[in-house]
Amino acid sequence: MNCSFTEKVSSLIDGELAPAEAREVERHLLSCSDCEQLRDDFLGLRSQIASFETALQPAIQNRALKKILSRQRRVPSLQWGFGTQAVAFATLLIVGAIIGLIVYQSKRAPAPSETALVQTPSPVPSATVEPSKQPSPEPVKDTKQPNKDDKETQSPRRTAPVKRPPVREPKPGEQFAAIPEHPRSADAETMTAIHFEKSETLLRAFRNVRMNEPGAAAEVGYERKRAQQLIVQNMMLRREADAAGDVQISSLLESLEPILIDIANLPNKPDPDAVRVIRERVERKNIVGLLQINSTALARALD
Amino acid sequence: MASQDEEFTMLFQEFYPSLCRFLECFMGGRVALAQDLAQESFLQLHRTAWGTLPVAEARFWLYRVARNMAINEFRKSDTRYRLFDRVVEAMRPRTRNPEQEYETQERKTLVLQMLQTLPEDQRAALLLREQEQLSYKEIGQVLKISESKVKVDIFRARASLRERWSKKEKTVGAGVG
Repeated sequence: MNCSFTEKVSSLIDGELAPAEAREVERHLLSCSDCEQLRDDFLGLRSQIASFETALQPAIQNRALKKILSRQRRVPSLQWGFGTQAVAFATLLIVGAIIGLIVYQSKRAPAPSETALVQTPSPVPSATVEPSKQPSPEPVKDTKQPNKDDKETQSPRRTAPVKRPPVREPKPGEQFAAIPEHPRSADAETMTAIHFEKSETLLRAFRNVRMNEPGAAAEVGYERKRAQQLIVQNMMLRREADAAGDVQISSLLESLEPILIDIANLPNKPDPDAVRVIRERVERKNIVGLLQINSTALARALD
Repeated sequence: MASQDEEFTMLFQEFYPSLCRFLECFMGGRVALAQDLAQESFLQLHRTAWGTLPVAEARFWLYRVARNMAINEFRKSDTRYRLFDRVVEAMRPRTRNPEQEYETQERKTLVLQMLQTLPEDQRAALLLREQEQLSYKEIGQVLKISESKVKVDIFRARASLRERWSKKEKTVGAGVG
């Protein structure tokens, strides 16, 4: 088809022509059957593409929204356009107060014991966060005031074991949603615990394969099949953990997934270097240790 | 903050399904990957650009980011999503009668196959025009290309699909319209 109007027909059906040009093309269509057919075909294509429906379930959509809103937003940087004078005034006040305090204290000559009482203790860093049974939107704060008698009265008593997996130490810059929004079902936790155990066994076996010994290829082949079986399960559990807002489990599954995929994608006769690279990743991420800790904790929680 | 989240929720409810559809068509029917990338795009919007970007531009921003992510993901080895798509497909609820279901599925597959034959720029431009009804100017904003390139891309995409469709019609006996 060599008509000079073909491209304009496309623009016409998109409403992108100037009125005069559109009228010209429309007049042309009355006399050119090829262009008329072209327009009809383009409109037919449009209806095919526009009527394409995606299989999206409302539950998935709602879960996605919830997950996004639960993530912490980055705090925008201070904009100097906003209340510069107010900020300057507040700074002056603070500086004035500090100078006043210093002058006041220098005149008083305080006793050493008094100074000790004024000191505010720095917050004690806690290694683990124990989520309360009733999840609350605000993080639980320790409001207990420090007392100098505490050192004497505090006994090294142990609190009852909490039936939740230990909280993984965050990497630098990593953000966590502290408490899952919806506790995961016992079934999901059982499946996750079993999955972690299986993965741990797989990774341990994979780590122990000696590539320079006969039969190593067969061993890797066996681990490859096991990895293939675990991938789908891993994806489903990760999605489930995501939906439940269990960031800890979800992130562990997320770290595990590429390793399972890499093992599953190894060729029949794998290159020792490729195997070594995967092993190094496993070691670097300490996946085996994390799997062991979490599967044990999950199993204990389910007892 | 609450009103910002409400606004974000409205935007999400309005555009998440269409972003999923755009990505699904763009990536040849990869449902799970499309949904994940759509979610990731909204997450990025919420974490970085929301509040600094005019609401009217947020939609274009979303499509641009989603399309870039799709291109990156699409070129990677994505075994996990291929597997997961099979699971999603197997678990998809089927409400219509089998015959209708089969026809719908056939038609969808055909549309996806045809779209996959187009170059990425043409495919994105055509989808944004036909499904999202964006103007050439808006498509240019999303894809960071000129209006005249949008016009040419859309025309070429249509001409190419028309030709393929007519060939298919001859072999299968299915018409375009």
